[in-house]
Amino acid sequence: MLAYIVRRLAVAIPTILILVVISFVLMYAAPGGPFNSERPVPPEVMANLEAKYGLDQPMWRQMVTYVWDVVTRFDFGPSFQYTDRTVNDVIAQGFPVTLTYGMWSAVVAMVVGVSLGVAAAVRQNSVLDYMAVGITIGAQALPNFVMAPILVLIFTLWLGWLPGGGWNGGQWEYVIMPVIALSTSYMASIARITRSSMLEVLNSNFIRTARAKGLPMRRVILRHALKPALLPVLSYLGPAMVGMITGSVVVDIIFSTGGIGQFFVNSAFNRDYAVIMGITLLVGVLTISFNLIVDILYAWIDPKIRY
Amino acid sequence: MTFHSKLLATTAAAMLAMSGVAFADNHAMTGPNGEALAETQEFTYRVLDEHSSTDPGLVEDVSGSEIVRDLFEGLYNQDKQGNLAPGVAVSHEVSDDGLTYTFTLRDDAKWSNGDTVTAGDFVYAWRRAASPELASPYSWYLGLMSVENIDAVIAGEAEPETLGVTAIDDTTLEVTLSEPLPYFPQMVTHSTTFPVHQPTVEEHGDQWTHPENIVSNGAYVLTEHVPQERSVREKNDMYWDAENTIIETVTALVINDENQALTRFLADELDRTEIPAGQFPRLNEEYPEATVVAPRLCSYYYMFNLREDAPDWLKDDRVRKALSLAVDREIITENVTAGGQIPAYNFTPGATAGFEVPDIEMASMAQQERNARAQELMAEAGYGEDDTLSVEILYNSSDAHRSIAVAISQMWKQTLGVEAELANQEWNTYLEARSNGDFEIARGGWCGDYNEASTFLDLMDSESGYNDSKYVNPQVDQLLAEAKTAEDPTENYMQVEQAIAEDQPIMPIYHYVVNYMMDPALVPSWPLGNVQQNWYSKDLYFVADE
Amino acid sequence: MKLAQPDAKMLQEVGDLAEVRGRSLWADARARFFRNKAALAGLAVLIGVCLFAAFGGLIAQYERDFVDFSLMGANAYQGSPSIATGHYFGVDIDGRDLYARTVQGTRISLLVGIVGALVAVVVGTLYGATAGYIGGRVDNIMMRTVDVLMSIPFMFVLILMLVIFGRSILMLFIGIGLISWLDMARIARGQTLTLKNKEFVEAAVATGVTPLTIILRHVVPNLLGIVIVYATLLVPQMIIFESFISYLGLGVQEPNTSLGALMSLGTKQMNNGTLWMLFYPLFFFLITLFAFFFVGDGLRDALDPKDR
Repeated sequence: MLAYIVRRLAVAIPTILILVVISFVLMYAAPGGPFNSERPVPPEVMANLEAKYGLDQPMWRQMVTYVWDVVTRFDFGPSFQYTDRTVNDVIAQGFPVTLTYGMWSAVVAMVVGVSLGVAAAVRQNSVLDYMAVGITIGAQALPNFVMAPILVLIFTLWLGWLPGGGWNGGQWEYVIMPVIALSTSYMASIARITRSSMLEVLNSNFIRTARAKGLPMRRVILRHALKPALLPVLSYLGPAMVGMITGSVVVDIIFSTGGIGQFFVNSAFNRDYAVIMGITLLVGVLTISFNLIVDILYAWIDPKIRY
Repeated sequence: MTFHSKLLATTAAAMLAMSGVAFADNHAMTGPNGEALAETQEFTYRVLDEHSSTDPGLVEDVSGSEIVRDLFEGLYNQDKQGNLAPGVAVSHEVSDDGLTYTFTLRDDAKWSNGDTVTAGDFVYAWRRAASPELASPYSWYLGLMSVENIDAVIAGEAEPETLGVTAIDDTTLEVTLSEPLPYFPQMVTHSTTFPVHQPTVEEHGDQWTHPENIVSNGAYVLTEHVPQERSVREKNDMYWDAENTIIETVTALVINDENQALTRFLADELDRTEIPAGQFPRLNEEYPEATVVAPRLCSYYYMFNLREDAPDWLKDDRVRKALSLAVDREIITENVTAGGQIPAYNFTPGATAGFEVPDIEMASMAQQERNARAQELMAEAGYGEDDTLSVEILYNSSDAHRSIAVAISQMWKQTLGVEAELANQEWNTYLEARSNGDFEIARGGWCGDYNEASTFLDLMDSESGYNDSKYVNPQVDQLLAEAKTAEDPTENYMQVEQAIAEDQPIMPIYHYVVNYMMDPALVPSWPLGNVQQNWYSKDLYFVADE
Repeated sequence: MKLAQPDAKMLQEVGDLAEVRGRSLWADARARFFRNKAALAGLAVLIGVCLFAAFGGLIAQYERDFVDFSLMGANAYQGSPSIATGHYFGVDIDGRDLYARTVQGTRISLLVGIVGALVAVVVGTLYGATAGYIGGRVDNIMMRTVDVLMSIPFMFVLILMLVIFGRSILMLFIGIGLISWLDMARIARGQTLTLKNKEFVEAAVATGVTPLTIILRHVVPNLLGIVIVYATLLVPQMIIFESFISYLGLGVQEPNTSLGALMSLGTKQMNNGTLWMLFYPLFFFLITLFAFFFVGDGLRDALDPKDR
């Protein structure tokens, strides 16, 4: 097990380097630059700016310098767009926001999704089942850029219960709508996966045996069926967690939460190279970590799996 | 100078207003004109994007400038009509050759930490803004002001100390220009010319504008800044005119999506937001008191690519003219933008100070006449049923630009049979394509940097870096050069406009207006008469409900 | 499945054997699928949507880019859906016929979904089957590469790609397809590992058929069931993905449109009293996705009986 983790971590390093190279190449292939504006700056000023941020160096050298600074000093450089902030500042400010509502979304998606899926499976082909299937498919299909403004119309404008956006340090009333908007489609996926794997488990021999012995249904489900039924959900959770963090772009834009999704999109449009790199790396590292954690959990729960 | 006495009069009026407030005390507070004021004076408004900086030397965007104008105060401010009002300077003198300006500063101006604002602070700030080390994207503004030696300093060929700005003593600032510039005093209301506090900048480096570090001399101090979410500024008690500052707290909220901003305005979370394109008629009907329209110093236009390597039809002025004639500007302003925009047949907005709109032939025609004339011109140029013209319109991605491009392409199709293809590009790509001449017809928008026609017409100079059409007309160049030093340049400007109408290197479409949803209690104090929309929170106030 | 390879008699027999087996399996699956009412309803809706996308334009009264200048701005309310004016679905915010645009948007969305899924499935299946069949070090390297690629936040890379290459719709398909083949590759590899030791593959190897031919003729056809299921579930994901890109303003170029772009515009007018601009595209978007989900579920249940 330990050897496995070490091996996975060893693969992670070249992965991140490849990520750096791909992002650098893509960034430099993009037309325009960070200091483009409607009023083009005079060539002398442009030269000053490029010298200030090291953009006058060849690309490979910029790449090496970048990696070196990150590795030795954990310094992701200054933002080109927000002159008084470093990339570390930007991430330190945006990431906790994204993480907060991302985590809440994961919790909501898990709890609601699993409950709905189990309930539907246990009462297969009942009204409850059909309703659960209908709700989950609807929730999966409705894009969150349509759902989020509807939520704001209802809860802010008509009912006046919740603020229509902002973050305000993460007070609960500011977190609710982003969490609903973000978690719904993941909740639906989890419910669908839970339902079908639960059905499979319920039809398997060991459950039949348990029920034949006369154990009460509730106990059979909680004690015996739930754990194996959740394995597929677990493997879905890795990509889902990453999705909840990267998929936050729409939520950030509509609810003005100031998370990293918004920073990333704006930086891509403004060619703020340093911020693009910083956030891409952050998400890359997160992806690798979540996948690793899920795989370890998987091995821990299901002893059949060997590495 | 006459200007001097005018300023003194304004100051006197301010003094009177001040005594009014002092008399009224806290309870029934009154505004400058004796209005009853609302109890809470907190102003919250929406901005589209996070501002790039609140450093006066670096700020380049509108939302950043709005904040900087509150945090810092330059030599002069603008009043509600856009006229000069005293700032740190109370008056100035001009030498006879028009090359030396001597500003007299007030002695009671203070930084927020209690230090006195001196002429030296301005000298430091200007040298800093011009220096290659800061590499400010707005250093060209000082060049526009013709400050002596500016080009050499920006290029790094001369030390910043050689810049034509000196402190004679603590309250006297002398500026030397390389050429006379009649509108120079108007230009010192711009944020690039604002002072900065040297010890703070030197102590904190790039991070001196963080709320915990910043020292500023304006009516407000920055107290909170969460990038991409909010920025809060509060009244500065050290400000020399703090007694007359009514708004206590100003909050700028970053809301990317204009429709979300509108919903939040309607839910009372905001006091001001922009009206999304096309929604003005409905909002005006439902909330007549909250919808605000005022002219703005900006022009919306399409430019033709006149470079050598551009397709030949672009060089045919009959085609350009026909395309321009066939655009029904009334439909665009009434049905597409629908917010009271002003149809444009010339480039410079009529609201520009000292500018007279010349009689352009096209402006006086009816749309049927224009269409008929356009069809004639196209036929003359050799296009007809069997030889249709295909053009491409480049614009940057946005719903408003898309709607206009869709409408114009249809007008061309329906009137002239011209096939127009729409190409939208994201902002940076679009700018690159435009400046590289990688387009046929491209959208353009231009807002005046100062309130004088040259800020627009200089774009038509063949040497101008912003002349993306690459329009070359020696006569226009000469007229513009003469205008720089002319006693009354109006005639030159009118002739340049006539030349543009004749050659159509660009096709003006409309002049902007501001379209705000605004708390009706704030509307009376909003500077609607200021066509540059330079507003100062210190001049705003909420009146009490009647 | 046609396995016409006259070279070796032996192979022919094995092929025939596989075909017989395959036929009964497929017939079984078909019967199971047709017993599933939800899946059948989904299929019917899907056919309806495809017909609408293909032929709906024939009854449109207006070109998709024709602007009716009298139905804009203050008069936008008059652009409501009406049979009399010929604007069956009303007009969009730019005064264009929403019916014609919805037809076209549905067509593009389906196209994006299907082409995207196709790219993903073809690349993923071939890649996975090759890795699984060859095995050993090659397999190891190929699958590690997949792991590496999976760690790259492709949503971000895609936004960067779209910024660079403009809005070419081709890029959109390719970009989306390239994001999604990784899962397919893993699934295909897993299945190939079990197929590898089946008799008919061993027989083919014994008669000296080249590995490439074996992969294409013997392994891939046997992956078809799982591939189809995966593809039907991938299409709706692609369509959702496209709508998200359209929301960011990075979608298809005017005058083309997609359901995502139409919904995004409709959402912006939601508060402006012109709800039809959201309703029609959203309706077609939802029923298309519902149909794909039900058909996909039905196919999975039919082809994978243990899941019942």
